[in-house]
Amino acid sequence: MNYFLRRLLQGVLLLIGVSFLTFLFSTLAPGNYLDEMRLNPQISSATLAALRSQYQLDRPLPIRYARWMNSIAHGELGYSFAYNSAVAPLLWVRARNTLLLTITATLLAWGLALPLGIWSAERRGGLPDRALSWATSTLLVIPDLVLGLGLLILTARSAWFPTGGLVSVAFENLSPLRKLSDLLMHMALPVTALVLSALPILIRHIRAAMVEVLGAPHLRAAAAHGIPHRKLLYGYALRAAANPLIALFGFSVGTLLSGSLLVEIIMSWPGIGPLLLEAILARDLYVVIGGVLFSTVFLVAGNFLADLLLYWADPRIRTTAGAR
Amino acid sequence: MEPLLRAENVAKRFESGGAFGSRQEVRALAGVTFSIFPRTTLAVVGPSGSGKSTLALCLACLEPVSSGRIWFARTEVTALDAEGQRAIRPSIQMVFQDPASSLNPRMSALELVSEPLNIHKRFDKPERRDRACDLLQRVGLPREKAAHRPDEFSGGQRQRIAIARALALEPKLLILDEALSALDCSVQAQMANLLIDLQASLGLTYVFITHDLAMAAHLADEIAVMERGQMVEMGAAWSVVNAPQHAVTRRLLLAAPGVCHSALEPQAV
Amino acid sequence: MRQRRQILGWLLVLGALHVLVACAGFFAPYDPVQQDREHPYLPPMRVHVADERGHLHLPPFFYAVRVREGSVNQFDEDTGKAFPLGFLTTGARYRLLGFLPCRLHLFGTEGARLYLLGSDGFGRDQFSRILYGGQVSLLSGLLGAGCTLFMGAIIGAVAGFYGGWRDVLLMRLAELFLALPWLYLLFALRAFLPLAVSPLKAFLVVIVVLATVGWARPARLVRAVVLSAKERDFVRAARGFGASNGYLLRRHIAPETSSVLLTQAAILIPQFVLAEMTLSFLGLGIPEPAPSWGNLLASLQQYSVLVSYWWMYLPAVAIVPFFVGYQGFANALNLHVAADKIEEKRGVPS
Repeated sequence: MNYFLRRLLQGVLLLIGVSFLTFLFSTLAPGNYLDEMRLNPQISSATLAALRSQYQLDRPLPIRYARWMNSIAHGELGYSFAYNSAVAPLLWVRARNTLLLTITATLLAWGLALPLGIWSAERRGGLPDRALSWATSTLLVIPDLVLGLGLLILTARSAWFPTGGLVSVAFENLSPLRKLSDLLMHMALPVTALVLSALPILIRHIRAAMVEVLGAPHLRAAAAHGIPHRKLLYGYALRAAANPLIALFGFSVGTLLSGSLLVEIIMSWPGIGPLLLEAILARDLYVVIGGVLFSTVFLVAGNFLADLLLYWADPRIRTTAGAR
Repeated sequence: MEPLLRAENVAKRFESGGAFGSRQEVRALAGVTFSIFPRTTLAVVGPSGSGKSTLALCLACLEPVSSGRIWFARTEVTALDAEGQRAIRPSIQMVFQDPASSLNPRMSALELVSEPLNIHKRFDKPERRDRACDLLQRVGLPREKAAHRPDEFSGGQRQRIAIARALALEPKLLILDEALSALDCSVQAQMANLLIDLQASLGLTYVFITHDLAMAAHLADEIAVMERGQMVEMGAAWSVVNAPQHAVTRRLLLAAPGVCHSALEPQAV
Repeated sequence: MRQRRQILGWLLVLGALHVLVACAGFFAPYDPVQQDREHPYLPPMRVHVADERGHLHLPPFFYAVRVREGSVNQFDEDTGKAFPLGFLTTGARYRLLGFLPCRLHLFGTEGARLYLLGSDGFGRDQFSRILYGGQVSLLSGLLGAGCTLFMGAIIGAVAGFYGGWRDVLLMRLAELFLALPWLYLLFALRAFLPLAVSPLKAFLVVIVVLATVGWARPARLVRAVVLSAKERDFVRAARGFGASNGYLLRRHIAPETSSVLLTQAAILIPQFVLAEMTLSFLGLGIPEPAPSWGNLLASLQQYSVLVSYWWMYLPAVAIVPFFVGYQGFANALNLHVAADKIEEKRGVPS
């Protein structure tokens, strides 16, 4: 238990450090963005004055930081000048859309990568292994910007899948079943892009971990004892290869909020990505800081989850952690 | 006669452990006192973990002592500042156990041996090369191989390079930290003879650290036995080997096959 | 030795690709900013060696293109007039490698423009723009990676060599930077710097941002190398000869970091080129009219362009050979390092 409390504390300290760092960077922003807002006729001078006094934008960094931390305690995460609301609710809505995409993509990617990786590790050196290796190498050299745009062009010309947005315009009028199918159709393209970019890395790591384990003497001993092949593969080999795979899984979880940034923007999926871009272009800096913090929370949580799973899966960690 | 090196109550503590973990203190040396006379060989023997290597590093000024004093030829080494230590370094040189790690694999034998001269900027470049070549010859390495890298030499030859390098600055004291332990038995014999020759021709003083009592008996005038950071027995080689006082010494003797007691003669100091 | 040959092979490939881009002025027939409002969004034009009747003609030639009757974006070749290709012609002025004024081009045309890879909305030649754009994108990647590796190496060396509070502080800082998702950090940093700046300033801004984002991982790796090198006996021995800290770092420890830095360079350069492309694509990087692979793709954000003008996608493909080259180089390096370590330990039998 001590071990986890310590890791949790480290994670919290890390988040505080990250928040301070991003805040520090934001002081680089030249001028006062309220000055830019003054040019916007939609915002009344009364609002401006209220905002200025509330956020004390002319005050030095520590005070601004303290006020911002205070707003976190109130569940607000700062204020979005462009949307005229607290940042947190904005982020929640968008995060929900992003997670819809990334969770589906992650599950699909792992669901495909595990069997493929294990299968190619089993038949290492053979034709299917080499073909798969060639395919993953090809995918690896295609960055997701290129992949996303390419997919978009292919489908735009064929009109198989809608090329943007969360749902169709007439969404509200559809039956529940049609609603689901509409959503899935809209998700198809971004999910494909995400899966294709994650798949080669996952397959490579899984295959590498399995190959290392399959060559180990203790596995050959088990085979010599007559343990059936299926059980050998999944019961023994996979468990032995679990450590690096769990770390990889933690990494996948960690990038749930950050991995789809570009794909969302390209395919007009209303997630955190487009929100962040808008905020940058509109100099809505509290949204930017909030977005960065949100996704860092996920990264830290992903690592923590990996630690938890490793602790549960690997008895060696339990004993060394307990011995401390 | 004045001792060349004198150590008085030398102690060394290592601390390990980070900010959140427990801080552990290891006492590598716990009050060691001895003297070495010029042109003699002192062998320091003991089981692993007895602090021999730490003693070597402290004598060579590569590790600061936690307490105690060391004198070298009337200068108190432990009281010197960084500049003073740098001035005295040429007189005390060290040969390490594993030549694969004590020789930079990217440098040629010639570069390795002339490095000390380069650091101290002694002589001009051509003379440094000549001296380095001479040293290589003196330790029995062929001239043609001077430009080769360590991985092109055998273990014994590498250790010869290390010895040649240690002699570059014309030291008075040479500390050999398990210098022969990593070599094959036959090579060990050759190297031991080389060391004896060098001592005679150059007037060197050796501190020979080893866990092999047989080798110590062969090379040394005096033997000091260490256990857990303390020197438990010290005396002339002949008397330590034939009339061991301490239990550790007796255990080491039992473990050292072929130590021929009667062949040893008490050496004149 | 096979590894050495592999490494050299990949270096050759990379070198050829970089030379191609570095001498963009020579290989490109036209000036990248020269517009031709009469011919927007022309598809790639074909080069012929045989005319309609099957007669061979040299040098190769092309036909001008005109809009098909009754359509807006369908084009036909006007076989009435054939324009020959000239080789090693003089054309638009440019500066070879940035400083040598030159007018020699590999090939050029007279009378009409040959759009090998089509034209964009302003009638600019995409082929030329892709070549010139490569200069900007590659240079950003190279300079960014150079700066980041330099920073990372120094920080890692200081942390590893001196240890103590410096080490703790620098490594905690590195942890913070590594905890941030790098794309977010990239965007956030870019966000906090002025947005609407001249192309040159934007270029510098991009490099600074890239360097700040990427230093943490190289710093950690260099620190690990320095920590282990510091404990090596040959460093102790050199200290025993009276070497100063500076000498140790310079002569013994720095060479140990070279392989780590080289591998990191092979990994970081394509990542940074991609980062610049991403920033420019989204309007946060190099602005018009300076071409960069990223902003060449920016027009694809309009649906009409996406559907009708597929050749506007080609700048995206341009980066793929570079990725292939750098990945191959990085793999070959890894194999070489692993093989070297085995050789070092074994040595020669007595």
